This record gives sequence, C-alpha cells and structure tokens, in this order.
Amino acid sequence: MNENETNVLDFNRRDFLRSGSVATLMTMLGGVELFADTNAAPSGETKIKPVKQKVAVIGLGAWGREMLNTLAVVEEADVAGICDTYAASVRRAASLAPNAVQTDNYKAILENKDIKSVVVATPTHQHKEIVLAALKAGKHVYCEAPMASSIEDARAIATAAKAAKQQVFQVGLQLRADPQRHFLVPFIRSGAVGNMLSAKAQYHKKQSWRATSPKPEREKELNWRLSKETSAGLIAELGSHAIDQAAWFFNAQPVAVTGLGNLALWKDGRDVPDTVQAVFEFPGGVVLTYDATLANSFDGDFAMFYGTDAAVMLRESKAWLFKEVDCPLLGWEVYASKEVFYKETGIVLKANASKSVPANAAQAQESPFSNTPLFYALQVFLKNGTDVSAKLEDATNLLGPDDAEGIAAEVAKVHRRAAAGYLEGLQTAVTTIKSNEAILSSQRIVLKPEWYELG
Amino acid sequence: MRHKHETSKMKIRKLLACSVLTLLAAGVSVQAAEMTKYYAKSGSKMRMEGTSNIHDWQVEGTLIGGYFEVGSNFPSEPGQPATPGKIEAHAEPFIMVRSLKSVEKDGKPYSDKMDDVMYEKLKAQDNPKIVYHLTEFTVKESAKSKDAPYVCEAKGQLVVGGVTNQITMPVNVLPLGEKKMKISGTTTVKMTDFKIDPPAPKIAMGMIKTGDEVKLIFDWMVAQRSPPTAAAK
Repeated sequence: MNENETNVLDFNRRDFLRSGSVATLMTMLGGVELFADTNAAPSGETKIKPVKQKVAVIGLGAWGREMLNTLAVVEEADVAGICDTYAASVRRAASLAPNAVQTDNYKAILENKDIKSVVVATPTHQHKEIVLAALKAGKHVYCEAPMASSIEDARAIATAAKAAKQQVFQVGLQLRADPQRHFLVPFIRSGAVGNMLSAKAQYHKKQSWRATSPKPEREKELNWRLSKETSAGLIAELGSHAIDQAAWFFNAQPVAVTGLGNLALWKDGRDVPDTVQAVFEFPGGVVLTYDATLANSFDGDFAMFYGTDAAVMLRESKAWLFKEVDCPLLGWEVYASKEVFYKETGIVLKANASKSVPANAAQAQESPFSNTPLFYALQVFLKNGTDVSAKLEDATNLLGPDDAEGIAAEVAKVHRRAAAGYLEGLQTAVTTIKSNEAILSSQRIVLKPEWYELG
Repeated sequence: MRHKHETSKMKIRKLLACSVLTLLAAGVSVQAAEMTKYYAKSGSKMRMEGTSNIHDWQVEGTLIGGYFEVGSNFPSEPGQPATPGKIEAHAEPFIMVRSLKSVEKDGKPYSDKMDDVMYEKLKAQDNPKIVYHLTEFTVKESAKSKDAPYVCEAKGQLVVGGVTNQITMPVNVLPLGEKKMKISGTTTVKMTDFKIDPPAPKIAMGMIKTGDEVKLIFDWMVAQRSPPTAAAK
C-alpha cells in the first residue's frame, strides 16, 4: 500500500478497543461480518434484491399463520400457495398471503410446477403423507418439528429425504439456523464454560391448548395435541427445540431418559399431561433436565448450560455468560456489556458485532424487524432451495439432460447453509417420542444408539 | 544425358512438390480439415482471485458450459504429436453468473451478501452469463510427455456484464484419454475494463475497497460425445 492510500477503516485505536471488543472476539472466531448496504452508495447503485423462491404453506393453524407472518418479511419468499383442509383457516390466512393460490387439497399445491418449495405445518401425525408426496413431486420441503408422532413415520420421512439428493429437506428445528447459536457452539465447545456439567431447559406458559369449534369432528381435529394417540405431548411439541439444542451443543445423543408427567390443571378429558419433567443422561455424566408446563408462566422458556468455569443462559436469541469467580479472565470481557439478573452479573454474548460499535461509527443499519430463529430457518431453507434448483437447471442445460452422472455431481457440490436436516429431525423425534413413553409410564428408558442412525 | 539431368531436376521438383503437398496435407491449418467437437463436462473449475484493502478474496464456480471444436488432427489422446502454429478452432465457453460463489481460502463459503454485491456488479439480472468467444488459437509447444499439456495461446473476446474485451492468454490443453480433455488457463483482467466499479461495500467498522485487478484461473473439462449406441439385437 502506498502512502497516499488512507486506512479506509478510519478508526483510531482507542475507538477500536472501546467498541471493538466483541468485534475482536468475532474476528478471532471467524471474520468480519458484512451488512447489506442499506445506505445509498455514492455512485447511486440500487439496493440489491435477493432472488425470490415461490413457496407454499400447507397447514394454516396458529403456527402455519405464524410462518406466513414471518415469510412476509423474508425477502427471498414469494408465498404462492396456501392450503388447509378447513376452509375457515384458509380464509383467515388469506390476508397474510394476498398473492397466494388458495386450496383445500395439498395435491393441487404439489402439481403446481411454479411452486418449488413447500412448508408443512399440519398437525404432527399428518406430516408423513404430505412430506413423502411433496418429496416425490420434486419439491424442496420444510417439515415442522416434531417431524412425526411415531418413530416409524420419522424413519420413513428421513429415508425419503436422504434419497432426495437434488432437493432440500429441512426440519423445523429452527435453532439450528440461528446465527446466535452458530456463534455459541464453537465458543462453548472450545471450553469457554470449562468442562460441561449439565444443562437445564424449561417452557412455562399458562395456557389450555384446547381449541373449541361448534362442530364436534372439527373440535377433535383441532385438539390433536390433547390426545396421546396423535401427539407425544409437551415434551415433543414444546421440548424438541431445547432437546435438539442440547444434543447439538454436547455433540452427542442421550443414552437414557427418565420421565414424569401429571395432569395437574386442565382436567378436561385430555389424556396428555399438562406438566412434564424429563431427565436426559448424556455420555460422560452430563445431564439435561427439562420441564414444561401449561399451568404456570414464570420465567417463560430459556436454557442454561453449566460448566466448571461458567454458565451460559440462552433466551430467544440472546445469550449471557456467567463466570465463576475463579475462572480465568477472558481479555475481551473487560469491554463487553453486562446485565444484572437478581444477584448474578451476566456478560452479554452477541453475534451481531455492530451493536457494540458506537452509533457515530456504525455504518450499517439494522433491520427494523428483530430476526427470530424462525426467520433465519425459513430464509436458509429458501436460499438453499434457490441454489439447488439453479444448479440443477444450469447443470441440465450446460451438460445436457443425458449426463445424469455429471448433473448429480454438480448438484452434490452445492453448499447447503447450516440448518436442521433429516438426521436431526429423526434423532429429535426418537428422543422426544421415547421421552413421552417414559413420562406416561414414570420410567427410565435406555435409548439405543441404533435408533439414532439411518441406514 | 540432358534428359537424365532434367529428369533428376524434375524428380527433385516432383519430390519437393510431393513433400510440400504431403506437408500441407499433414498440416493442421487447412480449411477442409475435419473438426472434432468437445462438449462441457462436470468437474470444471473457475476461480477468480482479487484483493481489497482488508484481505484478498476468491470466488469459485464449478460449471463451465459450452463447447470446444478443433481440427481432428489436433491431439485427442495423450502422447500424440502437435505441430506448432495457428490452427482452426472454435470455442464458446460460458459460466452462469449465479453459480459463482465467494469462498474462504480453504474453499468454505464466505458470504451471501458479498455474492449479492458481486451479482449486482456483474449486472446478473440482464447478463446471466459470462461468455468467451475464441477468435484465434495457436499451438506454441507440443506436449513434452504423455502427462504434459500442449502449450497454446488463445485470443478471444470475453463478455462480462454486457461489455466485451479482447484478451490473449496462454492456455494448456491436456488430453486425458477416453476422448476427454482438460483446458486450463490463467489471465488477469481489470474490472474497470468491463465498466465495473470495484465494489466498496460498507461494513460495521468502515468500508471495504476492492482492487481493480482480478485473476481468472480455470480448468475446463470437455469430452467428445459418444455416438448413440446401436439398437440391441
């Protein structure tokens, strides 16, 4: 660099140290983060628009509508179809996807050649039929978690997804696409908490889960979560994310689970407990305790990881580090923000370095919407689908449709952004379904390693 | 006696004429020569290397389409001789801009946002392909061994973002056997030559300013297509 070239970073050292602590950490852990240039560039360039993927949502209950809400702000999404067997649900969802084709039959969605990706948000026990058909129809499939209500169904979905090499399959364990977690996994695995001792997770929210309808058959349909025939209960419907998160952080599957459950409050004829606890034994003596209840709301949902040097708390997309007094000093923490919880001081762990940069130096604008894990999961799903479809199309055109081997080789090279796939979906389904068995029988169940493998 | 002399002279002339004709017939640059066409196969690589004020960057693509057509007397299998000189050849390789992805030094993906900046700069919406038209092909050196390439020089037009530039670059052609070939080359271009302003995207701590020069390195895998097999008995 010659002398006339100024340091474009234009930062003096003190600014960098004061504000750049988390940025330094980020740089050490993996590079400088780039932000979309939302400020108009001096040369008058237009804002870059990502490629849109036509996607349909099948299953328009409360969660399906929540997904439509999120897809409305994912720039890569072009919601082209919405489907539910219940007409009133379709009508209710229509305003969230004004340009979408409306139908009560998922097969119409699958026959639509323009729609490349589908999101399956139906009741858990109905995933298999639709997912298998969608994979057969050549669609990219996002299947909500829990993947299925029986291990047999989960294996069928995972097997079909594995075979669909030129399609994207993603399961709704959205934390696996969350940048905050991606930042934390190497941080924790590198020993920032010391030796891992245990973890705890909970989901507390006082709610009935019972939905009403004037028609009895519809009411039974709506309340699939309250029957043990169609649902593995709270541990699956609520606990899947926390359980998968622990398996991810520990990089291991549990070897045994003990469960307890009680119908304490909502005694309305349901046979699914409204309060459950499960203790998961992981290799090396590490234990995860999980509790969920529909009868109390205190402290909502969060997860803790306890180590010999520190503990980490995760709530939504925020994380804090609580250090032991005898834990070695991590240089950067001196400059990091801290927040106090009751008597404990937590060091804020943030993946987004720009938040620590003083306003006058920050060039990047933040999105007005807070990006939830669901946002990232859906965005990653659509981006992966776009990349795989593009590569398949390009390879077919450039190599000729007869070169099946060449086309397969090129599609295999496509990098798929990190997200939960069929294996994570299967493994979490196995753990939650077996945990539910443990809960319903107040037993300890040994979890066999072969259940977690797909042949 | 005179006859004999003349006959000798004539013999020599005839011999010369025959030799010239033979040489011409054997020569590679005759219009009437048969051409062999090689089509794009999987396994190619296009790599772009650039600089910036923060760190060097690299972009990779794995699919180069198009065809390479050359006289049938150009070596198609390893170990065949090639006569140095200009030869007739056509080539129209191209790469889909959307297949280019930024990567770290170890090949792992770098940044979606950097890719978006790149696609915008390359005007991908209106120009989905980067195309090369070969206009002149010269064999410089025959292969030194069976595993060595034929060293050639290619002159052609490179079209990026709708802007055309004439480029001359060394190209190595390596027959791989079984009617396959690997065509490799390296060249350096300037973004500004293609009317592209080197990107200067903003980041949390300031601005990245990209260097104007970009090195292009490619390996293009091509092969002859087998004729359709005869119907089974």
